[in-house]
Amino acid sequence: MKRRVEIGILFSRSGNYRLVSEACRTGALTAIADINADPEGRVEFVPVERDPGGNADRYAAGCAEILRDSSARHIVGCVTSWSRKEAIPMLERDGGTLWYACPYEGFEANDHVVYMHACPNQQLVPLFAHVVPRFGVNGFLLGSNYIWGWETNRVARDLIADAGGEVRGERYLPLGETDVSRLIEEIRATRPDFVLNNLIGLSSYAFLKAYAELGREDAHFLPQRCPVVSCNLTECELPAIGEAGRGHLSAGPYFHDPAADGAGKHMPASSFEASAYASVRVLADILAGDPDMRWSELPSAFAGRTFATPFGATTIDPQTQHATLPVVIGEIDGMGFRTISRQEAVAPDPYLSRYDRARVFAQPRLRVVP
Amino acid sequence: MSKTARIPNLGGACAFVLHRPHPTVQTITRQLSAIGLRVTDCWPELPPAVLSADFVFFDVDLGFDEQFPWRPGEAPMPLIALVGSEAPGRIEWALFSHKADAHLMKPVGNSGVYSSLLIARQSFEERKRLAAEIAALEARVAERQTIVRAVAALTRDGEHERGYAQLRSLAMGWQISVEEAARRVVAMADGKDSDEQSRRA
Repeated sequence: MKRRVEIGILFSRSGNYRLVSEACRTGALTAIADINADPEGRVEFVPVERDPGGNADRYAAGCAEILRDSSARHIVGCVTSWSRKEAIPMLERDGGTLWYACPYEGFEANDHVVYMHACPNQQLVPLFAHVVPRFGVNGFLLGSNYIWGWETNRVARDLIADAGGEVRGERYLPLGETDVSRLIEEIRATRPDFVLNNLIGLSSYAFLKAYAELGREDAHFLPQRCPVVSCNLTECELPAIGEAGRGHLSAGPYFHDPAADGAGKHMPASSFEASAYASVRVLADILAGDPDMRWSELPSAFAGRTFATPFGATTIDPQTQHATLPVVIGEIDGMGFRTISRQEAVAPDPYLSRYDRARVFAQPRLRVVP
Repeated sequence: MSKTARIPNLGGACAFVLHRPHPTVQTITRQLSAIGLRVTDCWPELPPAVLSADFVFFDVDLGFDEQFPWRPGEAPMPLIALVGSEAPGRIEWALFSHKADAHLMKPVGNSGVYSSLLIARQSFEERKRLAAEIAALEARVAERQTIVRAVAALTRDGEHERGYAQLRSLAMGWQISVEEAARRVVAMADGKDSDEQSRRA
């Protein structure tokens, strides 16, 4: 006999990062369907859904509504760090847990959140370790004007300094802004070796299109010489970017491999979908033991356990509630990514407390002249 | 681009939490461990090993001077006060007497420890830097009389400006501060005086 368990779903179905949000939602709902269809399963999930409509101010209310109007204590949701930080006080107040399926900027370990996508030591740091020796050390940093861009670029500044390079520029656009002409002119003038793109949604698509145009005018800005690199770009946004994305790089825990789709079996189409799927999967495994498990019992439920997810055998660090994940660097190739490098089971280090610049940038920053 | 201070990496740092056994200690320990620090909790005394700690969290509600192996206000590391009751006398004790560099309100929530570490470290370093600068300035002010005496010893025919210029060029030649050069000049002058006195005797 399956136990029915309500589960919160808090993703925006409109707004400028809709494609990411829909990918997460698809992952969560697919996992719910799979779990409910499993005759061996111990729980049946009943989704309780709220749609904040891409408005950061509506996440706290949506979260509070789910916790108030249903028995759900676990919510899969939020895309931007801004919305996650809005939801946290509600979770703390009402004893809920957020399963967060997007990459984020690190420096957080709230025990009401399970971080199921990559933090900087699983995306930005290995991405720079790959890019710097191949393309050069001088970067131009871009971001949408909120915490993800600010904080990721802050870490990027430190990484560039450690590698002995120079930040050629750092610019932010309001969320949803699509006028990128000034950015392009600044990048043309400063000739960096790579561009770190933390723009999200429409701004990011507009930038990549304009940058491809710049590459046609000046070969320095072709992806093989000065790539645009990201920590949050996945397959789910490639249709909005088109050919302009080809050759640029992204780091993440997963890229879709069409060869892995077997008969009747379809692997998640992006890491967002995979992460939301994994969140629901892990939750089902945990609740199978105790359907009433509260947030405070999660660390002991994570300790010593391995969960089967689209990322492979996944563990969750009980101390920080962040997942151990693969780190894959992919190059955009049409509507998918070609894997350039892959590391298995990289343990999370959300505060970069184990970061060692000598190991990341094997080339010493200063050479002793004999 | 201007060089700004960098957020320090706290991995491997060591923190002591001076608080009676209580859920507050677990909440703080959990956050500190997540940030990458090694944590030791203790009550009612700080063990000798605390002298090598990078941070000390201490309870303000039940704390007292004898718990600390240093004089109030002279902790060799940043201190973070754990404030429960906002009794003014207790805050005075933590802030004025022990010079806490940051504070956390009890009950401690799911966040706050990381920023308290950064704020405490920053204000501790700043306090140390200012104290060193003040000590150096005080030392220089205290040498004013020595400079006056050195200039007097170097002055011939009442030309004080030339005496001062000579002192400065001596300092440059010896590659030391003007105050240090003045001390040498005064010592030499005193030596000559005492030689003359001993010859006269």
